[in-house]
Amino acid sequence: MRDMEERITLKGSRDGLRLILHPTAAWEEVLEALRKQLAQGSSFYHGAKLLIDVGERSITDVELQAILAIMAEHDIEPAALITIAPTNRTTGRQAGVETRHPDSLRSTPPPVVQGEGLFLWRTVRSGQAIKHQGHVVVVGDVNAGAEISAHGSIIIWGRLRGSVHAGVGGNQQAIVCALELSPTLLRIADNLARTPDNHRPTGPEQASLDGDNIVVVPWDAPRR
Amino acid sequence: MAQVITITSGKGGVGKTTTTANLATSLAMQGQRVVAIDADIGLRNLDVVMGLENRIVYDLVDVVEGRCRTRQALIKDKRFPDNLFLLPAAQTRDKDAVTPDDMIALCNELRREFDFILIDSPAGIEGGFKNAIAPADHILIVTTPEMSAVRDADRIVGLVEAYEKSNPKLIINRIKARMVARGDMMDTPDVVEILAIDLIGIVPDDESIVVSTNRGEVAVLDRDSMAGKAYNNIANRLLGHDIPFLVLDEKQGLWAQLVSMFRTRR
Ligand SMILES: Nc1ncnc2c1ncn2[C@@H]1O[C@H](COP(=O)(O)OP(=O)(O)O)[C@@H](O)[C@H]1O
Ligand SMILES: [Mg+2]
Repeated sequence: MRDMEERITLKGSRDGLRLILHPTAAWEEVLEALRKQLAQGSSFYHGAKLLIDVGERSITDVELQAILAIMAEHDIEPAALITIAPTNRTTGRQAGVETRHPDSLRSTPPPVVQGEGLFLWRTVRSGQAIKHQGHVVVVGDVNAGAEISAHGSIIIWGRLRGSVHAGVGGNQQAIVCALELSPTLLRIADNLARTPDNHRPTGPEQASLDGDNIVVVPWDAPRR
Repeated sequence: MAQVITITSGKGGVGKTTTTANLATSLAMQGQRVVAIDADIGLRNLDVVMGLENRIVYDLVDVVEGRCRTRQALIKDKRFPDNLFLLPAAQTRDKDAVTPDDMIALCNELRREFDFILIDSPAGIEGGFKNAIAPADHILIVTTPEMSAVRDADRIVGLVEAYEKSNPKLIINRIKARMVARGDMMDTPDVVEILAIDLIGIVPDDESIVVSTNRGEVAVLDRDSMAGKAYNNIANRLLGHDIPFLVLDEKQGLWAQLVSMFRTRR
């Protein structure tokens, strides 16, 4: 049996939270997965606006109403119906939901940052503080006692042992990655984490925000 | 034309003065004309370590303020009267008595007569650090293998770079082989990895340093001193010789030649 989570995917995008329906999965299973997902993170989604991405699937009035009903239970409003099937446009209009073509969405959501990226090819040492409005890329180590803060993401091609703050100003899309991720202190937007004392990185890692939690995963595959 | 080499550190008490005295003596032993300048104004002790304390008449501030000629302030080391000299620090606490430009002018004057000018610097967080590194052609950073000292050394490497002095070299002092073997002390590669600068010497923790210092002698003159041997090796590297690093093997209780050199990138 396939995992229920595959029936639907919820992810952040530059245009907002995006609910992607599996193109071929049975309709009942899709609805069931959606109910489950929203029940789990119910307070998180509260008051949110969702882009409903049905892809190539064409859906009936009844099907769309079913989705809207589940969303309404959690106080979630539809932002738009993302579809490439022309028939869905009528369906959407009748339900009072704007329809958009997927091409109108920017698929990779780069963090909202100002300014150019800052590229440093050196060791950032204790007592040095780097502040930048865009992304920061360091080829070299960031030693304990050093501090880097960026409105965008922070990428360290080296060991990260100092303190970093990515997404200064509240940019939740910002990430931090390093070949060896063991910062003294790591912040993304308004959230904060410390490296656990027993943490021994075995390879490159990436930290990003999942809701209010900073999650760290191996940096081995493109994930956006 | 002399090379000006400044010996500095982040943390105090890690062995700058000991290093300066030993390198100066070792270079003089090999026939180089050497002057050691104590730039640690207010904390002068290079004269004590070199056993020249009671011969001081004039000091660095006297020279800078024109109360005497540079020559008059230089103290001859009795063991190498032709080629080892000390310019002592003033005991006054006024650190502003000397400026970086004064140091550059002084060194330029001395360059013509010497092969090496070694400057014993205050620790990097103290005033006077700028004076000590201003005239430097090369910088040696001394640290012990302790996290706090290494962290402060890292800061100094950053400062040195900020003053646009390139390629400082690293000396790790007071290595306790037994503790390293037990995993209780940082190992040389650990320190080099953090600081990411070239290593020019490793010096063991050696009781003979304390004994020789108390007598106003220096370890490099003591054939049996392991630290003295390590300092002689560093002096030889300053002279451009390719000397392998020593490694202390606690089980055999003696130093053996280490085949590989520790080098870091850039
Ligand atoms: N390799 C060594 N082994 C044992 N003692 C040492 C060694 N190097 C320095 N010391 C001792 O450490 C103390 C501080 O050394 P010093 O050279 O005065 O440091 P600094 O000039 O950096 O303040 C002195 O008492 C000195 O004798
Ligand atoms: Mg000293």
